[in-house]
Amino acid sequence: MPDAQHAIVVDQLCKRYGDVLAVDRVSFTVSVGEVFAFVGPNGAGKSSTVEIIETIRRPTSGSVSVLGMDVGASKAEVVRRIGVLPQGFTSFDRLTVRETLWYYAKLFGSRADLDGLMDLTDLRDKANTRFSTLSGGLKQRVGIAAALVNDPEVVFLDEPTTGLDPQARRQVWEVLKGLKARGKTVFLTTHYMEEAELLADTVAIISKGRIVAIDSPARLTETHGNHLRITLKSVGAKVIDVIESMGFSPARVGHETTRISVGSADDVRRILGEVHKAGVSLGGLEVRKPNLEEVFLKLTDGHLDGGAKAGHG
Amino acid sequence: MSPRIINANLVVRLKSFYRERAALFFTVAFPVILVLVFGTIFTKPESLSFDLPVQDNSRSEASTRLIEGLMKDRAFKVTPIPINADPTQYAREHKLNLVLVIPAEAQSLLEQRIAGMNPGIVVPLTYVYDPSSTAVNTKIQLLNMMVAAANQAAVGATPVFTLVPASILQRRYRFIEFFVPGIIAMAIMTSCLSNTLNMNAELRQKGILRKLATTPITRAEWLVSSILYQVILSVVSTAAILIVSFLAFDVRLHLGSWLALIIVAQVIAFVGIGMLLSPFAREAESASAVANAFLFPMMFLSGTFFPVEMMPGFLQAFAKLLPLYYVNEALRASMIFVDGPATLWNAGITVVFATVVFVAGAVRTRWGDEGP
Repeated sequence: MPDAQHAIVVDQLCKRYGDVLAVDRVSFTVSVGEVFAFVGPNGAGKSSTVEIIETIRRPTSGSVSVLGMDVGASKAEVVRRIGVLPQGFTSFDRLTVRETLWYYAKLFGSRADLDGLMDLTDLRDKANTRFSTLSGGLKQRVGIAAALVNDPEVVFLDEPTTGLDPQARRQVWEVLKGLKARGKTVFLTTHYMEEAELLADTVAIISKGRIVAIDSPARLTETHGNHLRITLKSVGAKVIDVIESMGFSPARVGHETTRISVGSADDVRRILGEVHKAGVSLGGLEVRKPNLEEVFLKLTDGHLDGGAKAGHG
Repeated sequence: MSPRIINANLVVRLKSFYRERAALFFTVAFPVILVLVFGTIFTKPESLSFDLPVQDNSRSEASTRLIEGLMKDRAFKVTPIPINADPTQYAREHKLNLVLVIPAEAQSLLEQRIAGMNPGIVVPLTYVYDPSSTAVNTKIQLLNMMVAAANQAAVGATPVFTLVPASILQRRYRFIEFFVPGIIAMAIMTSCLSNTLNMNAELRQKGILRKLATTPITRAEWLVSSILYQVILSVVSTAAILIVSFLAFDVRLHLGSWLALIIVAQVIAFVGIGMLLSPFAREAESASAVANAFLFPMMFLSGTFFPVEMMPGFLQAFAKLLPLYYVNEALRASMIFVDGPATLWNAGITVVFATVVFVAGAVRTRWGDEGP
């Protein structure tokens, strides 16, 4: 069924490799024009799901449609309307940036504006540099430009900033913001929560082959992080005793640093009052809501790596 | 099948090839160097006569006539050695594999024989030889023939039997002419097999295959581009080999539409073998190992460097199972012997083999869904 609002519809998707069920009845939708971040630990079934949507792999069961077309039955048509930056993108070593983009444009038969693409990805001054001599961040930007040669409606970016230094990562983010401004639907795979929080309209968290949460970054932290986190610095055993006597469970997380999870702002006020009464001065105090990374760690059993037994990510 | 996509692939692969010096060397320079080296080694003895050191202890009319006989048709290049030297010692010291010794009494023995006093009298010619030398047997045989001719001349009899040459070939051919088609086939085989294996390993290792799977290019378009690319490289290397062998050794071979057909069939066959082998060479490192494991036996057993007939029977039977054997036979039949039926037969086998291997390779090659 063609669906004007949904760029991607995934329904009861399963992928099995031998005895391992890497993707287990996954369902979600991606709206037109949104940036959708798909996050999960390595081996959680993330790449399998993405590669099925990108038409690279075939599902064991379930259905996936992109722009209203089934990815299995209409692969040729789907491919023309999506752009893909595969994980760890590399290209022909001995071609220049311009030649690389020319090649991918030719495959799509599109008269792409190569200069415009290089401007968008800030590669203009590297046009005649050979791919093999580019840095990691520049290579990723070539990959993003190559994913745009056919002016796709949906852009898949599979871990676009993995392995990049903070500076290069920020430059890639600028490019992604540009895509969003142009109204593209962006399907972003990442394991940097900072990236998802900054760029995404919707975040889906996959763990052990199943979707464990899907919502906007703000609502995710609200729903799954309905507590406050107090961090106290330069505190001695006396303070810990005081807090414990109030019925909270402080946890030492470092030298003279203690973290306490509390339910409300009222609890914060009470703790500070008791500490003040005890006549102890605090070296530092921080109170905040948990961020997306903490929500993610909570929902995926606490690791960024090895969330599932599945051999493939 | 889009010409635009095939053209884009060709441009990319030719540019990459042109910018990679090692590929350029192995495709063009390496076969040319082989032709020059082997051509020089094997052409020299054929144009020159054998050296024959002779110790003439007689220095008579008889010995002079004998030596002239040996030098007839430039069969031997006779060099004298000192008469006071011990021929065995001399041969050893000077690393000679054959020395002919004419006895001092040669003239008188010959005169006695001609006078008819004793028909049992012979002139003993001693040859000192080195049995460990491989070339010496040919020289001894030639020496026997020349001495037989000298005998006939000395007795003055007209030969009863005479040999009239009638070659099955249109003309006499030299080793280098045998060698050049073999090198052409070897160069095409090496380039097709290694490039296909390396390209597949590189595309897979770098994840370019995954990127291509999300573009409109089809497997058929990729395969056709690979074949066209290899045909272009093969034409370049064949032209280089033919031009160099013509300039250096005056090799003139018959070039025609058969040559074109055989080259295309060989390219398809070996690109097909490459595709079939590529699942065993998933990384660049294993790709060259797998390629070499096939290339070397094929090269030595299929009659590239020497005729298959020189090998023992069981190896000859084995050679006939190798595709390169039929390519070599077809190229030689068309380029040297200009033998229509033999060309048709061997080229036909090559075409059938190419079709089977290519279809099998095309069916087996995976593009997208490759499992974890």
